[in-house]
Amino acid sequence: MASLRMQGLKKRFGTMEIIPSLDLEIADHEFVVFVGPSGCGKSTLLRIIAGLEPITEGDLFIGDQRVNDLTPAQRDIAMVFQDYALYPHMTVYQNMAFGLQMRHTPQAEIDARVQNAARLLDIEPLLKRRPRALSGGQRQRVAMGRAIVRDPKVFLFDEPLSNLDAQLRGQVRSEIKALSQRLKTTMIFVTHDQVEAMTMADRIVVLRGGVIQQVGAPEEIYGRPANRFVAGFIGSPSMNFLPVNLADGAAHLPDSRTLNIGTALRGTAVLGIRPEHFIPAPEGTGMPVDVTLVEPLGSDTLVHFLVGDIKCIARVAPDTRPHVGERLPLSVAPGKAYLFDPETGARLA
Amino acid sequence: MSDRTLSQPRREQLMRVLVIAQLVILAIGILFPIAWMVTSSFKSSADVTAYPPTLLFRPTLDNYTRLLQTTPFFSYARNSLIESGSSTLIGLLLGVPAAYAASITRASWPALVTLSARMAPGTLFLIPWYIVFRDLGMVGTYGALILTQAAITLPIVIWVLLPAFDAIPRSILEAAGVDGCGILRSLWRVALPLVSSGLVIATILAFVFSWNYFLFALVLSDENTKPLVVAAFNYIGEGSTDWGGLMAAATLIALPPLVLAIAVQRWLVAGLTLGAVKG
Ligand SMILES: Nc1ncnc2c1ncn2[C@@H]1O[C@H](COP(=O)(O)OP(=O)(O)OP(=O)(O)O)[C@@H](O)[C@H]1O
Ligand SMILES: [Mg+2]
Repeated sequence: MASLRMQGLKKRFGTMEIIPSLDLEIADHEFVVFVGPSGCGKSTLLRIIAGLEPITEGDLFIGDQRVNDLTPAQRDIAMVFQDYALYPHMTVYQNMAFGLQMRHTPQAEIDARVQNAARLLDIEPLLKRRPRALSGGQRQRVAMGRAIVRDPKVFLFDEPLSNLDAQLRGQVRSEIKALSQRLKTTMIFVTHDQVEAMTMADRIVVLRGGVIQQVGAPEEIYGRPANRFVAGFIGSPSMNFLPVNLADGAAHLPDSRTLNIGTALRGTAVLGIRPEHFIPAPEGTGMPVDVTLVEPLGSDTLVHFLVGDIKCIARVAPDTRPHVGERLPLSVAPGKAYLFDPETGARLA
Repeated sequence: MSDRTLSQPRREQLMRVLVIAQLVILAIGILFPIAWMVTSSFKSSADVTAYPPTLLFRPTLDNYTRLLQTTPFFSYARNSLIESGSSTLIGLLLGVPAAYAASITRASWPALVTLSARMAPGTLFLIPWYIVFRDLGMVGTYGALILTQAAITLPIVIWVLLPAFDAIPRSILEAAGVDGCGILRSLWRVALPLVSSGLVIATILAFVFSWNYFLFALVLSDENTKPLVVAAFNYIGEGSTDWGGLMAAATLIALPPLVLAIAVQRWLVAGLTLGAVKG
């Protein structure tokens, strides 16, 4: 139950700069999700918050307290490690109870909390087993349980659901969300999963090479990406990017087709269109494209096509079933065309 | 293709035979002197020096009864126990935290220092060591012998436990920290249980080395603090040596470490860290 503040935070491993300089404030009770490509420093950042990595420069506050020099034990955080890090010599029950014992929680309460967490995570039958007798997904749930029995100032989750099957993942995801609302504890959650990020976060922090690209609510990150990287990283399938020439309110595509997007800008730019923002246009209007592949997903259909030699994807209604080779006219949903600076990637409109 | 699959079981069989043969040869080499010692201890004084050695003889307990009647064997044994037990304990008390500290800080110099302490010839220090204890007025005391043997047990403990601690995945120790353990508690509650087999090995080795430690004990002990190995040395007389008695003493001396090793054998299980971390 505490806010979190990073000020001019820098992290170097030897001479390798992993986090150049990071400023971020996380409010009390907030659920923040860190996303970013592999190696961008998400785990490192969590480990810094936990006190497992020393800070090279800058300050870290939990609540009003500067915690740079506090040990992990003194910081009162709970963490799910990316590699689980269960205690091999303890049973599942003991693994989950250990942190509470270390903090002198009464035995009856320990028991209640462990049983409760075990029920949430569907690992009640495993309580007497040791980690080596568990599957990967079961170990991950125990790691999760070891954190959620605690009542810390901050929860840190490092990809805690990556090894679960789709159904269990959905189930645990909603449990965590419910837990965060019930406990009113600050949570930081690292994930590669778009759905997790979008559904759970109060705010998403997009990282790249240790630098924050954008911080914002999920719909803001999705709807108003700050730059081309964020636009491409969030959303699945990712946004289509086309180099265009802007003139007379229209975008002129590489293969000399034009797409009417109603913009006042001129000159070269990168046009970004999400697959779901292509809409089939009435015959004779829009931009005709040659379908190269059709992927029916059930809920909707992915249509692949080429613009010049750039592969694009449109997500259309499931009853739209064009044939490969068919010519399909597409237009862009009004106000859904994004424009980026071809040099810096910053969003222009 | 079919040729290989046919010869596969036979090749495995051959390998098995070779491995067993190797083990047998090794065991004979190791066990022969021990067998010699034990059988000699049951031989009469005529049989023990007979040449060629007699394989069939009438076993006798004469050597043992003589040993126990003519020497204060049990008080020497008590000395040995006190000295080896205490020095092993000191070695563990200092060595375990030292090895843990070296492991978690990833410092490499402590291992080097202890290694060189192990490799340096002890005789080099014998005289200065003796002078130090003489000036302290400690020659002939348990204290001198225990401290001296702790200088043997400490490096053994560090040397055995350092790689054992190093083998624990760091994230397990980090998890202990996050769970609220300070460094000593994470050692006691998490790291030590995970190196329990290493701990047993270190204890046995330390005890055995200190139990058999001869040279410094010879110089630093007196009649009241003399350990078994030094007492047994007295059997080698100037004129004639009581070989039967010496072998009986040697057999008895070898017994406690052996019993210790057998008693804790079941602790020596490996693979305890299995399943702790992903992959
Ligand atoms: N102890 C270390 N020494 C040197 N470099 C390190 C160390 N730990 C991490 N790094 C480097 O820091 C960078 C960030 O690593 P980090 O584990 O934080 O990435 P991540 O965003 O969690 O990636 P992933 O999504 O794959 O888990 C990587 O380039 C990694 O190689
Ligand atoms: Mg990571």
